[in-house]
Amino acid sequence: MFQLHCPHCGATREEEEFSYAGEAYIARPANPEEASDAEWGDYLFMRKNTRGWFWEQWQHTAGCRKVFVVKRHTASYQIAGSWTLAEGKAHYLKESEA
Amino acid sequence: MPNFQPYLQSPLVNFNLPAETVPADSSQQVRANELPLLGYIAIRGELADAAIAAAVSSVTGASVPAAGQFSTGDAGVLVWVSPDELLLVTRRAELAQRLAAFEAAFAGLFAHAVDNSGGLTCLSLSGSEHVTVLRHMGVYDFESLAVGQAVSTVLGKAGGTVLRLEDDGVFLIIRRSFADYLWLLLRKVCTPYRFAVAKLAESGSHPLLRLLDKQHAAPARKAVTA
Amino acid sequence: MSAYRVHRNSQRIDSQSPLKFTFDGKQMQGFAGDTLASALIANGVKLIGRSFKYGRPRGIIGHGSEEPNALIQLETGAYTVPDLKATQVELYHGLSATTTTGFPSLHFDLKGMAGTFARFMPPGFYYKTFMGPVKAAWPLYEKMIRMAAGYGRAPVEADPEYYDHLHHHVDVLVVGGGACGLWAATLAGRAGLKTLLVDEQNEAGGWMLSDASARIDGKPAMQWVNERLAELDSLGNVTVLRRTTAFALHEQNLVQALELCQDHLPIGSRNPGQPRQRLHKIRAHHVVLAAGAIERPLVYGNNDRPGVMTAAAGQTYLNRYGVAVGRNVLLMTHNDAAYDAARDLAEAGSRVTLIDTRLRGAADWRQQQAKQAGVELMLGYGIAQVHGKTAVSGAQLVQLDPFTNTVRGKGPRLSADSILSSGGLTSTVHLFCHNTGRPYWKEESLSFVVPDEGRQGISCAGAITGRWELSSALAQTHAATSAMLAGFGRSTHGDCPQGDEHEVAATRRLFRVPDGLAEGHGAKAFVDFQNDVSAADIHLAVRENYRSIEHVKRYTALGFGTDQGKLSNVNGFAIAAEALGKPISAVGTTTYRPAYTPVTFGALAGSHKADTFEPRRYTAMQASHLKRGALFETVGQWMRPWYFPQGKETMHQAVDRECLATRNSVGVMDASTLGKIDVKGPDAREFLNRIYSNAWSKLDPGKCRYGLMLDENGMVMDDGVTACIADDHFHMTTTTGGAARVLNWLERWHQTEWPELQVRFTSTTDHWSTTAVVGPKSRAVLQKLCSDIDLSAENFKFMDWREGTVAGVPAKVFRISFSGELAYEINVDACYGHYIWEQVMAAGDEFGITPYGTETMHVLRAEKGFIIVGQDTDGSMTPMDLAMGWAVGMKKPFSFLGKRSLSRSDTVRSDRKQLVGLYTEDPKVVLTEGAQILSTPDATPPAAMQGHVTSSYHSAFLGRSIAMAVLKGGSQRSGDTVYVWAQGKMHPAKVVSSVFVDQEGVRQHA
Ligand SMILES: [Zn+2]
Repeated sequence: MFQLHCPHCGATREEEEFSYAGEAYIARPANPEEASDAEWGDYLFMRKNTRGWFWEQWQHTAGCRKVFVVKRHTASYQIAGSWTLAEGKAHYLKESEA
Repeated sequence: MPNFQPYLQSPLVNFNLPAETVPADSSQQVRANELPLLGYIAIRGELADAAIAAAVSSVTGASVPAAGQFSTGDAGVLVWVSPDELLLVTRRAELAQRLAAFEAAFAGLFAHAVDNSGGLTCLSLSGSEHVTVLRHMGVYDFESLAVGQAVSTVLGKAGGTVLRLEDDGVFLIIRRSFADYLWLLLRKVCTPYRFAVAKLAESGSHPLLRLLDKQHAAPARKAVTA
Repeated sequence: MSAYRVHRNSQRIDSQSPLKFTFDGKQMQGFAGDTLASALIANGVKLIGRSFKYGRPRGIIGHGSEEPNALIQLETGAYTVPDLKATQVELYHGLSATTTTGFPSLHFDLKGMAGTFARFMPPGFYYKTFMGPVKAAWPLYEKMIRMAAGYGRAPVEADPEYYDHLHHHVDVLVVGGGACGLWAATLAGRAGLKTLLVDEQNEAGGWMLSDASARIDGKPAMQWVNERLAELDSLGNVTVLRRTTAFALHEQNLVQALELCQDHLPIGSRNPGQPRQRLHKIRAHHVVLAAGAIERPLVYGNNDRPGVMTAAAGQTYLNRYGVAVGRNVLLMTHNDAAYDAARDLAEAGSRVTLIDTRLRGAADWRQQQAKQAGVELMLGYGIAQVHGKTAVSGAQLVQLDPFTNTVRGKGPRLSADSILSSGGLTSTVHLFCHNTGRPYWKEESLSFVVPDEGRQGISCAGAITGRWELSSALAQTHAATSAMLAGFGRSTHGDCPQGDEHEVAATRRLFRVPDGLAEGHGAKAFVDFQNDVSAADIHLAVRENYRSIEHVKRYTALGFGTDQGKLSNVNGFAIAAEALGKPISAVGTTTYRPAYTPVTFGALAGSHKADTFEPRRYTAMQASHLKRGALFETVGQWMRPWYFPQGKETMHQAVDRECLATRNSVGVMDASTLGKIDVKGPDAREFLNRIYSNAWSKLDPGKCRYGLMLDENGMVMDDGVTACIADDHFHMTTTTGGAARVLNWLERWHQTEWPELQVRFTSTTDHWSTTAVVGPKSRAVLQKLCSDIDLSAENFKFMDWREGTVAGVPAKVFRISFSGELAYEINVDACYGHYIWEQVMAAGDEFGITPYGTETMHVLRAEKGFIIVGQDTDGSMTPMDLAMGWAVGMKKPFSFLGKRSLSRSDTVRSDRKQLVGLYTEDPKVVLTEGAQILSTPDATPPAAMQGHVTSSYHSAFLGRSIAMAVLKGGSQRSGDTVYVWAQGKMHPAKVVSSVFVDQEGVRQHA
């Protein structure tokens, strides 16, 4: 059980207050009807399942109900930080480019 | 049509707390009671939007509270819930007038008010061990909750919002359907302490207690348990 | 006073307070401050158990949580506790304990007598049994194992005692109340940090309680300890919890600790208003681990005989409890520290022979002290094997080679009533390692230890870092704590306490004392007593090619059990290393996992049991339901009326009556538990178009629509009716169990994918009380309560809603139906819920209005072919599978959630399981829900399964049974006969439409 910082509440709270909401920044295809079965299947089912630093979504279900992103190490459970979806995306994209 | 005589019942009606209520005294380590039948209005709108904040203030007479805090005004207590939600605790008798005032004030804005008065109730929790009792129930660092702060968190296996208006005690805002569970849990975790269902302070100036309406009190009922 | 009681100035027992207790029914006496173990030793009890595999007699070995043998059953009936270590049970007046092993009795043990059991269970027994050809013999083994295995009996009565949890948020948590822990807490306290110190023992002091000669800052160590405690007490920011074991350390310094609040009190004196045990959940910015170290024994022949103990135990029983473990003691050591035990025992009047495996022995001053006290020293010897069976009678010594761990020559045979050994200390590294930390092998300390510098958020202090001398342990603690304070931006107040500086001779690197024979040929030398693992067993495991220490552990059972290998692990690792020909550091340790010591279920449950095990949610009408005799079922935490039996009605009879009353006149159901979400904003309609499969663009205010919610995989995940309140405002309902899930679902899609849509979701589930008035007479009932709503069929149509007053209360009335009948759902502020229900009951009285519960609701909806998400669906059903293609707006411009998946090759297969109705050939047969469906009556395996029954009821209205099922290609199989295997029989059934009643919808449109 770790603690997470909710960027919307501006507070660090216990994990019990949050719900896990999956890998972050999986883009929904803009035109699903044009996606092939393979592409759609990739979007639906394929996840990075990273061992290491991982961008994931959490929802502050017992608090503000907002979804935000956390960069967490899936093996050591170290947390590098948490951001709103919009703020986090900039960091995420920068890392993806690097 | 017959002459209907509607009555209201608070979520904890089946515990018949009025029958159990005793005067508050200093020997009680934990005091609790229900503030029944208050009015609750969820206010939805981007709080950072100055026009929306101004509309809220104009209706409530309270400034928009910062994250994790509450403010007080003529209309009652205004609790921060999220960047786009506040909860106004108000007099039940003034519900319709408040809802109408919000509707008018929010005209042209992406903001609205939702009546949630049937869905919530409020508990008073005080006494020398009231923080310990919260620490028995939930993971939040209740020792750090300062006057003026409000926190929505987990109590047992339910949710709740805890407001500290004064050092001596806190108020809990909880959902109707979980009220029974939370009351039972509260009573259970109070086992080690001298507990009383204590009479609420008569305070015409208290931001929350003054919101209690007397005229709606439900007819006394026998306690019923499942 | 027994022959074993002595008086020591250091003793912590109160010899003025005798306590009576019974052990295996025998009356005994001890003193306040004793543990059960110390009192038993004082009473001359040696034999306390039989070993797991071989039935060998066993006695007390240790003095604390490391004890592997002395497992007892405490008390009886509801208060009984199994598998407690006698070394950890504080004695109280009237205590009753029994032994837990030995079959049929402790003193006459079949396993031990015949030795048959051992033959059955070599190392790797379970592997060999299940992997090998003897699998068939398992039932025989199982019978024997079950008869003989286990150490205690689980209580069968409800636990009458109170338990609770308490959460802490502190700056600093110090684990361990020995000298180092106390000093760390003192510095943290002086620096003004919110500090919590937990200590396992009934009083602080740690090893200082056992070591009567220790001094700190020039005064007796216990005096220094008491000064520290007084200072900590005086600081408002420090809390000290005694009898509190930190048993787990999780992510970000969440530490769980168990406080034994009343276990030390006689059961009759316990305060039922206080917890017996309290589970502390401590979130600490910083943790100081000062958990100390535990002495391990040496491994030698028959080292498990009752009367064999660790030297630390001997010293502790003497100095702390005033009990001499023997009058004729042999003490074997490979280090200096154990000389203190020998010295103290000799001082107390026991005859002590100290067998030092080192040729030169300890530092001179210790040798002198020992000799002065009367200890006889034998240098360069070891014990080859212990003599005696149910009690130690002596030992055979061998002369050791001074350089290699081999035997140089024979030694004398000595008599003894107690044999102690010291194989050095093992740091208590468990908590450091619970959460990814690993210990490292420190050769100079001969122990796996934790690093001096700790790790992020954790400081390590004292013996846990492998510092055995008090002076250096305190110096390291002072440095580590100062570093921690600097991290908090605080300064250190106070100078490092000074322990006496001693000269110490080198330890001999020895684990298994050689007996001159090849391993396995001499007397059994035990490593793990609780699991009967000998040195030879570890060698066997390695010979059988188990190379990883984790595998050796699982093969031999080394380190399992209630003691978790506290005495055995390092010896086991060292012996494995030798057998593998590797250094210990390369062998490493097994993984340390919580809990450090056992935790009761009562403490883990705390207040979360019985009526507060989980939330039971009630509607505003609960009192009404109870008054009318409802029985309840739990639906997503809600307590919903199940049915309302009258008189002696069975459920079947009650449901038949409720169904018929509703179809023929009027019934009433509490629908308040449905999830309700207020959806509002300029883009609300567009949002609904995206989140539901059907279209919402044309739904006018005043109208309702049934909606299907799909996941992105195209499968039905929830359903419900949504009403249009205004062009930008909707009242959504969800299933009872799905309310929270759906709200979070809406929020996630809105926030992550479509934040540009102006819409907000507010849960109003608890705000609205919903009374469903159902049946042909429902309009008549409402007409008696409602004057401002035109209820006529032409002006208030099916799937309309109206705002007005019902019985004088503002209400939203929805003309919707989950039964196929004319029906109205009255929504009011839940504070009026009870009032409205009672008004409806009164108004319906003349029509015989009948309250009904979930069972009748299920029958009525099944008769009409309405699905229940989660019962008729299982996350693999598309709308088409459910014959609900009408609820899919394929022409909507936005590709709603799940749409694309509906055209995947798998979802368009024609042989998918599809919803059908079934009529059994025998109308009286009500099929079992979940029953499998076959195409032919031949069930000979492998029979191809065609589907299964999802809903099945007796329909009183139809006078026969009905069932819903999912069947491969079901939509094309109408009229076919299928075969359902249920209740041990094959039942032919005809595939029919799943709408059994009123296919034209005449009733609901009435
Ligand atoms: Zn939040």
